[in-house]
Order: sequence, then structure tokens, then C-alpha cells
Amino acid sequence: MSTVSTEAGGRSRRGSLLLAFVLVFCVLLLSAQAPGAGRHTSLLQSWILSAAAPIASVISSVSRAVSGAADSVADTFSARQENGRLKKDLARQEQELFRLRAEVSQAARERLLLASGAALPSVLTAAPVLLMESRAGVQSALIGAGFSSGIVPGSPIAVSEGLVGRVISVGATVSRAQLLLDASAAVGARIVRTQELGVVRGDGRGGLRLNNIATTSRAGVGDVIESAGIDGIYPRGVVIGRVAGVARGSDLFLEIRVTPAARFSQLTDVLVLAPSPAIGAAAQGAGSAGP
Amino acid sequence: MKLGRVALLLAAATALQFFIGGSRHRAAWPVDCFLIATAVVARGGNPSRAVLVGGALGFLEDAFAHELLGMNAFAKAALGYVLAILSVRVVFGGAWAVGGALALASLVNDGIVSLLALLILRAPLVLFSRDAFWRAVATGVTAGLLEAARKFPWREWWKRRVLRRLR
Repeated sequence: MSTVSTEAGGRSRRGSLLLAFVLVFCVLLLSAQAPGAGRHTSLLQSWILSAAAPIASVISSVSRAVSGAADSVADTFSARQENGRLKKDLARQEQELFRLRAEVSQAARERLLLASGAALPSVLTAAPVLLMESRAGVQSALIGAGFSSGIVPGSPIAVSEGLVGRVISVGATVSRAQLLLDASAAVGARIVRTQELGVVRGDGRGGLRLNNIATTSRAGVGDVIESAGIDGIYPRGVVIGRVAGVARGSDLFLEIRVTPAARFSQLTDVLVLAPSPAIGAAAQGAGSAGP
Repeated sequence: MKLGRVALLLAAATALQFFIGGSRHRAAWPVDCFLIATAVVARGGNPSRAVLVGGALGFLEDAFAHELLGMNAFAKAALGYVLAILSVRVVFGGAWAVGGALALASLVNDGIVSLLALLILRAPLVLFSRDAFWRAVATGVTAGLLEAARKFPWREWWKRRVLRRLR
């Protein structure tokens, strides 16, 4: 009996020491990364993403296949074939729709665009969503495309309904993206009807808020919010969402709740857009400076 | 728990996490497979192994989904230790107790990660969101069901079934 309790005590002591070691290691690791957070892709993360890419892709394909099978269990064989063809058509048309929407927006602001140069969002590639995480305000997604497709950190991602977020870390064929819903995400935005500029921020709980709109604004429920292209990351004219509620804040600004246009919980594929010229140039510079 | 089984558990948890995360129905039942795997190792009563497995799984989770490596590793290593100590020193069991403990552990995991994000990244503190509660419910219920399935006398049930058929 006493031998058992001694052994248990020894295990517990070893466990405590190991726990202390692991926790200290984690704190040191976090501290080492903190100064570079949000500015550089950690090399270690990039390696892990690249190494995990094949496994993630295979499992995700299986998951998609199982999801698809469950959805179409009542379909006939011919209906499934038809469905597959239509899905391909839809994906092509979604890309086309995204481009056309941007062009319409472009035409409406021709003068502004002429003044600031071409800023039309061009689609780099379409990528499947392999994993989505929503924990403690962090809202991120792992997507199945990396630097081999020309993606660099900062590349915006979107779906035909609207803006989704931006790429943070890039591996060879897998990248990690921060969603707009993330508590640390922010995007320069414009209310289409009133042309007022503000900043849309994620609340980390699945919603968005439009900040910095003065109490004198005529913004109302249902107004469309789109990206303003003033933050150096996101292109101009991509829909973000609609105003869901307007309340008078405690200071000079309104508290505006925004319903996202993109259905984040059901994302299966996203379009990766070309990064803004500043980010693209910085990425090219970093690439050419490397070994 | 033998090392081979631990490795198999790690692989299975990672595969399952990707399987759920890649599905379009991911929000319907967002189970934290990494936490359940940590708890499975912790129930063996070896704190060192629970800390290492929790840390490794948390590290993987960070690599796939978080800006900084180490936040979930910190949380899951600590939770692995606490769960291992609980399994040795506290006499409790049953599907409800295990489910409740895992649901609480899921919320604590979120709380630790949120607090670390606040301290290191100065990110807004997001505690007890709807997502966090739903994940805690999904993780707790799944863990409870697994525990109930583990304790169910499958052999006796099968024998009774065969006897009933023979009669």
C-alpha cells in the first residue's frame, strides 16, 4: 500500500516539474514571438503548415466527400452527376460574379479610381477551407493554397457574397487566414449610401461592429457596408455586410452592429485576392532578400 | 497507457479535428477532439504523460489556427495535469461527471487562451461567447457518451441478446 502511494507521489512530483517546465517553455515561446506578432510569418509556423499540408488536404477531402455523400444520399446517380457539373459551373460563375461586382463598383467610382490608380481586386486562386477555428475571440481558417499559388501574407480572401479576411501565415500549399470576425481584425469601411468612412472590427463572437461613425450620420438599418480600400490591405468596393442596428454611443460616435455578408459558418471555398501593391512589393522584397 | 496507443490517439485526434473542421457542418457539433484526447491520456493517472500530450496537442492546435505558438499548449498542458491529478485523487466517475468535467475544461481552455491573448497580443478579452458554450456542450456530451460506451457491459449485453434469440 505504502509502495503504491510512494509511487503515486513520485509521479505527481515528476508531473509537477514537467508541467512547470512546459508552462515556462510556452511562456518563453510566446514572449519570443510577441514582438513580431502580426508583422512576420513565423518560420516555424510556415514549416508546420507546409508539413501538415498533405495530411490536411487528404483528411479534408475525405470530410468533404462524407459531407457530400450525407447531403446527397437521396439523390439518384444522374442527379449527382448533374450536381457535380453544376457545382463546377457555379464556382466558375462565382468567380465571374465577384469580378463583375467589383467592376460595377469600379464604374461607379471612376473618378476616385482614376485619382488613386487601379485597385480592382483580382482573384489569385480559389482555395478550399480545410479547418476553421473559433476560440477565445480568435477566428481563423486554414485554406488549401500557399505560396506556390502566389499567395503572400496579407492577401485578402473573399467569397462572392463578400469579404472574409486575410492571409496571415503561408506554407507551400496551405495558409492560415484571420477572419473578419476575429477580435483583432479591422478593415477600413464605407457606408455605400452615405459615403461615410469608418472601421469595421470583429467582436470575436461572430459579429461585426462599425466604429468611428459620427452621431450626426444618417446611417440606418439595412445600409450596405463595403471595404473602403484605405487600410492598405483590403481592396476597395468589396461588400462586408449590412447594418443590423444603430445605437447612440456614450461619446461622439454611433455604435453600429453589422451583419456579415459572407456566411462564415458554412464556408467551404474562398477566393484569394491579389494583395495590395504595398504588401505585394514588401513580400517580393522579402523574397528577393532571402537566400 | 502505452506509448504506441498515445501516438495512435494523437493521430486520431488530429485526423478527427481536420475531418470536422473541413466539413461544411463544422458548426453543428464543434467537438474539441484535442481536449478529449488529452483527457483520455490523463485518466491513466500519469501527470507527466498528460502534460506532454496536452502540450503537444495544444501546440498542433496553435500551429493550425492561432497567431502565436504556445497559447493552447499552455492551456492544454495545465488542463492535462489537473485532469490527471483529479483522476488519481478524486473518486468520481460516470458519464455525467466526465461530461461535466470536460465541458468545464473546455471553458477553462478558452478562458486561459483569451487571457494569454489579452496579455501578450493585447487582444480584446472574449470570455464565455456562444461559440465557447456550444463547444463546451459538444465536448462534454461527446466525452460523456464515450465514457458511457466505455463502461457499458457490451459482452454481457451481447450474450443476453444471443440467448434471447436462441429462446
